[in-house]
Amino acid sequence: MMKHISKFRFGTVCAGLALALAGGISLAQQSAEPAKAAVVEPAPAGGPLVMRRLTESQYRATIADVFAPDVPIAGRFERGLREEGLIAVGTSHGGMSAFSIEQYDTSARGIAADVTSEKRRAQFVPCQPKSATVFDKACATAFIDKYGPQLFRRPLARDEQARFVEVARLAQQRLGGFYQGLEYTLIGMLDSPHFLLRIERAERDPQHAGQQRLDAWSKATRLSYFLTNSAPDTELLRAAGQGELDTDQGMARQVDRLIASPRVEGAVRSFFWDMLYFDGFSDLFKDPTIYPAYTVAAARDAQEQTLKTIVAHLVTDRGDYRELFTTRTSYLTRPLGIIYRVPVAERNGWEKVEFPVDSQRSGILTDLSTLALHSHPGRSSPTLRGKSVREVFMCAKVPDPPANVNFTALDAVSKPNSTARTRLAEHNENPVCAGCHKLTDPIGFTLESFDGAGIFRAKENGVDLDLSGSLDGVKFTGAPGLGKALHDNPSVPMCLTNKLYRSAVGRDVATTEEPFLEYLTASFAQNGFRVIDLMRTIALSKTFYSVTMPESKPVGPAGQTASAAPKGDHS
Amino acid sequence: MSLSAKYGKKRIAAGFALLGSVGLAIGGLSVDRSAQAAAPAPASSPAPGSPAPGSPAAPAAPLLQTNPFHSGESGFVVTEIRYALGPDGKEACPAGMSGGMRSLMEAYAKSPAGQRLPDEADRAYQGRMQRALNNTPDGKNICMNPQLGAEDPTWRMVSGRNIKVEGIDLDGVDPRTGKRQQADTCTHEEFQGTAGERGVDNQLFRMIGCTTGFQASGMGNGWQTEMYTGSWGIVMSVRGVDNTQNDPDVQVGIYANADPLQLSADRRALPFATYAVDQDAHYRAETHGRIVNGVLTIDPIDVRFHNFVNSMNEDRVLRAARLRLTFTADGGMEGYLAGYTPVEDMYDVQFGARKSRDAKGQLAPERLRIGTSVGRAGALGYTCNGAYRALLQAADGHRDPATGRCTSISTQYRIRLAPAFVVKVPTKSLNAPLAVR
Repeated sequence: MMKHISKFRFGTVCAGLALALAGGISLAQQSAEPAKAAVVEPAPAGGPLVMRRLTESQYRATIADVFAPDVPIAGRFERGLREEGLIAVGTSHGGMSAFSIEQYDTSARGIAADVTSEKRRAQFVPCQPKSATVFDKACATAFIDKYGPQLFRRPLARDEQARFVEVARLAQQRLGGFYQGLEYTLIGMLDSPHFLLRIERAERDPQHAGQQRLDAWSKATRLSYFLTNSAPDTELLRAAGQGELDTDQGMARQVDRLIASPRVEGAVRSFFWDMLYFDGFSDLFKDPTIYPAYTVAAARDAQEQTLKTIVAHLVTDRGDYRELFTTRTSYLTRPLGIIYRVPVAERNGWEKVEFPVDSQRSGILTDLSTLALHSHPGRSSPTLRGKSVREVFMCAKVPDPPANVNFTALDAVSKPNSTARTRLAEHNENPVCAGCHKLTDPIGFTLESFDGAGIFRAKENGVDLDLSGSLDGVKFTGAPGLGKALHDNPSVPMCLTNKLYRSAVGRDVATTEEPFLEYLTASFAQNGFRVIDLMRTIALSKTFYSVTMPESKPVGPAGQTASAAPKGDHS
Repeated sequence: MSLSAKYGKKRIAAGFALLGSVGLAIGGLSVDRSAQAAAPAPASSPAPGSPAPGSPAAPAAPLLQTNPFHSGESGFVVTEIRYALGPDGKEACPAGMSGGMRSLMEAYAKSPAGQRLPDEADRAYQGRMQRALNNTPDGKNICMNPQLGAEDPTWRMVSGRNIKVEGIDLDGVDPRTGKRQQADTCTHEEFQGTAGERGVDNQLFRMIGCTTGFQASGMGNGWQTEMYTGSWGIVMSVRGVDNTQNDPDVQVGIYANADPLQLSADRRALPFATYAVDQDAHYRAETHGRIVNGVLTIDPIDVRFHNFVNSMNEDRVLRAARLRLTFTADGGMEGYLAGYTPVEDMYDVQFGARKSRDAKGQLAPERLRIGTSVGRAGALGYTCNGAYRALLQAADGHRDPATGRCTSISTQYRIRLAPAFVVKVPTKSLNAPLAVR
């Protein structure tokens, strides 16, 4: 899989540069000036074809949509590979370990056993065998024809279909039952790379001589996982099969249909779960003697709280993305109520709340999820919090600390009359440390009214907290000030555009796509920073489906090129 | 809906209390620098008539770091509860400890009827002894019918002199009214309080204080365990507080908790959790109270809580209940919940499970009730008939005009409370559809 270096990529801020930028504008802001009214899509440039592994959430959503939500998935999933800040990009980078293949097989066996079980076969198998002993080829073929295209997200080639039918026949012969035959052929489909990997294929673009574009099935797949985080449904596959995705009108009809469906929520959730590094919750630890209220239930609900807030604001209310940093509306459960010190009358579910103006709660940066995720097990961290703001929301890269840093001053958390600010000041007497800290800490200090478990505090070690801080030269106080500064910072929507597009295509931005990103950013602003509108703009663009593969050789019918050799045909 | 709108436009913030549209005060905690100078009385504050907290004789009060009240309201959840007791062993019981079932068995084994028969197996012999000791001659279980049992000659009441016992004065003269707080009491010897104050009414301690199971480390005081499993609990609300040091009129609610205690990973009760009050009005009590020198007391009111043992539940009843609580530095309260428990109710909840109910509210199976009662008597070191007679003997409250005998026993609980949010909402269980109809 190719990797292009993009000029549009946001800055990596090293210590030396940080010193130079200490009082001024970040590299991110310097290198990413907002586009000027470029609201017309530039000529499609596109990027390379990719082969992407399904994420856990995509695997689960696909099985739920193809079969049913209650079909069990027994295998464990490897932690996603995060590249350039996104697991979505990592899906096109990493390989599959023997362990993960074994776990995929465990899941496949459980799914197939359930689908073909006596209890559920009437629900899933489209026909009944004519004989209990003689293999019913027609019925097996019907089963394969029903699920093969949904799982592989394209029609099966004739020899593929024949091979799966033969597997069913042989399995029945050896195991004695027709449904056991179906079970084994379904295991084969679910273990196939054509299911586990989204293998993109290109074809010649008839409208642009010398250029390539995704074929209809790859378009449908890219579109579906972008807008629903799941496999193309039967209507989208039908439209692909009938060439409707190659027309502006046909594509717009499908895009609008998917955006109007409740499944778009799954896509928004999945993207922000990835962008916010929520995979980090799987190994996030808090010292229970210091933070007893940070329970397993609170940690679980913390992620959902933020995602619920995001979905409600961006999807349900079609709100301005930037208001995610200033909104005082949120959702709480009882375990979260303990952290937020707010009553939650609802016993077993979620309650919509609005924090008071003077509560210091302001947007998702003051959610337990982000506060706890970017803190230490036993203390808060202005540095980690500031770093996460820079990297997650502004697409800047703050380097990791040097290996020989002395953390003694920072670890003295109980030092009388000390605060994180005073401890960091002592730590930053080392100029090697000071450079990066000047970029992170002025952001993080403003969140110090929340401890390492997100609980409000007015003092630390008996000392009133100084919540003053700054971001790219803008000075403010406290979390609401930070939220306002982020709301007004042009890097923030630009970064979101960048990440959303990279998540959609599963790779870094190609150099040739930079004008397209400028167009997206301008369009995003023009549409009131509504993320759903941005998703629609991407989904309707030509660039999203265009391919640049100058070195590609046609290997399939009608000049098709695949992102992988067609060995899957023999898988 | 905003929190402020939903909860009656009371301002809320991290840790602020509010009033729910659902109907009731709830509590919380806010940082209140002005409150840091406000020092509540310690938990061992003397009873009325004794030196007031803050007077030269009163011990130093802890600094109240946090003020649980906002907009004059706060909620609390009981996190610790046990019987208030006095000293152990000879100090309280110079005549020795009650013999309990063990001494009965030893005596029976020496009697002709208690001799082991030739070829009688261990199990058969033990069973014969159990039947002989736990049943009346006509086969009725004594724990289920304690009035039929003979007097227990080994029972011992607390008789130590000048011992200091936990609790408050329940029947002394109220300095505000000049009247006795509880008029219909029977003559009884009062204890000296832990701070040296006079007039502590704790007849339950007098009755159980010489029983091994109710010593300081005894199992008899372990019944709060089921509170930590979520089987029952107690919440309180305090409203109308203008001044946490002195306020002549506040409203206090005492309720059975409809929700399980919210616990940390190491099973400590967490502050600021939300709890719903029991839906049944029998388990809700509201009264007026006052704060004097940082000590919260209330006008007496009957209260009723749940108790849960061996998958059976019964009511823990307290008539003319009073509170004497002080605010703690962590925003909670501690002190005494005290009153009079009807003798029959105290017997049922603590000794013989005569009326215990199953999950459906029906009388629990007799075998389970007898097993629980007999097992408890053996483990805690008493006899059911002895306990029942001792309860009647020690009863000091609610004199029956017809018989002249008292029908309830002064009962003191030592409690600690954490700040919480207390709400009145429907509490239908998620498992309700699964309930057996």
